[in-house]
Amino acid sequence: MEQAPPISAPMRFFATAPLFGILAGILLLFGNSEILTNRYSMDVIVAVHLITIGLFSFIMLGALTQMLPVLAGAVIFRVEKIVLFSHAALSFGLLSMVFGLLREQTLFVWLATFLLGGGFLLIVTSMLLAIRRVEHFTASIKGMLVSLSFAFLIVLMGIYLLFGYASHEITSLHYAVANIHSAWAVFGFGGILIIGVAFQVLPMFYVAPRFKQFCKRRVVYLITFGLVIWMFLNLYFEEYALYAKLWIVTFFWAFATTVWIKFNKRKRPISDVTVWYWRLASISLTLGSFLWVFDEFFQHRYIVMVGILIGGGFILSIMLGMLYKIVPFLVWFHLNGMGYMTIPTINEMMDKRIARIQFVLFVMALLGFVFSFYIGALLLPSAVAFILSMVLLEYNIWITLKIYLETKKRAPDFDMSAFGME
Amino acid sequence: MSSIKEYLTNDHRRCDDVFAKMEERANSSLGDAKEITEKFIADMERHFQREERVMFPEFETKTGMLNGPTEMMRQEHAQMRNLMNQMLLAIENGDKDKFFGLSETLMILLQQHNMKEEQMLYTLAQQHLSADAQRIVEMMDSLVVE
Repeated sequence: MEQAPPISAPMRFFATAPLFGILAGILLLFGNSEILTNRYSMDVIVAVHLITIGLFSFIMLGALTQMLPVLAGAVIFRVEKIVLFSHAALSFGLLSMVFGLLREQTLFVWLATFLLGGGFLLIVTSMLLAIRRVEHFTASIKGMLVSLSFAFLIVLMGIYLLFGYASHEITSLHYAVANIHSAWAVFGFGGILIIGVAFQVLPMFYVAPRFKQFCKRRVVYLITFGLVIWMFLNLYFEEYALYAKLWIVTFFWAFATTVWIKFNKRKRPISDVTVWYWRLASISLTLGSFLWVFDEFFQHRYIVMVGILIGGGFILSIMLGMLYKIVPFLVWFHLNGMGYMTIPTINEMMDKRIARIQFVLFVMALLGFVFSFYIGALLLPSAVAFILSMVLLEYNIWITLKIYLETKKRAPDFDMSAFGME
Repeated sequence: MSSIKEYLTNDHRRCDDVFAKMEERANSSLGDAKEITEKFIADMERHFQREERVMFPEFETKTGMLNGPTEMMRQEHAQMRNLMNQMLLAIENGDKDKFFGLSETLMILLQQHNMKEEQMLYTLAQQHLSADAQRIVEMMDSLVVE
């Protein structure tokens, strides 16, 4: 049952994610404020994908690599090799996409299509196959299954979209697919995964009251139903798409509110930066969801702002908060398992002061990006704040990894080889 | 009489509650938290022994899985005992930061350990040991901690 993957598997994703965040920030630094109004400009598409693939997906895939075997007993076949290849394919594919789209280099767009498509399909399919063998499905595992299924479809759509750019053939279907691709990615892949994981994480880390059974059983399917209906309405009956949006938003708003209440009722008194991130996520999700509905009445002018609030404020906040717990724990757990007893506790591995500064910079960037819709001059300082916050995050991840690497150089306190651990 | 899974899961929840109270007490005054920390450690030790001396051997005999899940759980128990001892030491040294660093580490280790037990091991145990469930629960209940 010791099925935790080697530490390199999730760490590979976690350690590189903030680098793509930095790159996204740099790109935004040199962009102009128009990019916040046109979601189809190359600048936006590229920045968005640096964040959604390089930050979100990397962190989610890293977390899934750890959670699936440990929490669900779903062993991923040849996990180390699969992660190595998909991570490489996704990293190079993403860079190709950035270069190819921004510099109109068709060859690189083709390369991106192949690498991103292949990289994602490889790892998502492996995970789906691993889940198939699980016998006891908890609400969290269901959440992971559904979110990965969405990921699969989203990737297929992404391949279609990139293909359109590579072959210079943008059909009228292209924009409809882009719309579905983005909404499904945010709500179906990111949102559902977060909800599923929250069911475990809130009681687990904060001793918050457990989520009610009827919520856990139904909410993922209800949201999926909403997203599928929304897709059909979007394609064939656009005037009614609003109703599907309301359906989806209602559940996410309920989730955001429930999270807030659970945190109020939590039994652990500690208020660290991760609690702040969950609170921020709760607020942003509520604002962003309502704006998404509201946006329907304003010719979709606010869609980028919606993206910033839900993508940056909700999804990214939770990702960052959880990284502060997962990365030190992974290092501690693997070292401890190898027989090292005199190691720092997980609280002592990262620099807490830097984590707090990172949070403040992140919030400033978020607010700045939202308001640069009205005051173009805010874009530059927001991008700088974002870059700095990503640099600080990367710093904290690296000092933690260094503890792992340095500790491994010395002999363990106990000989655990008899237990067959690493 | 509750099933093996119910019985041990209830133990988990009780320990969770004491854990939270312990942290709350330590947060307001570290020195005052010594008693509740000792209670927490005693409760955890009783739970560990219920598993290690009763349920695990029964499971291992029935299934023949000697180097499987139960072995891993024993190892994690050892890690947790180590952390708890260090926590007591931190209280004696008046080191609040160290105490909370240790409790944080213990919390995450404990929670993922509990999750593995509740979602996989206990269910397995319940299936394999259903015929002897009542006897096993009674044995665990009447255990005298060593």
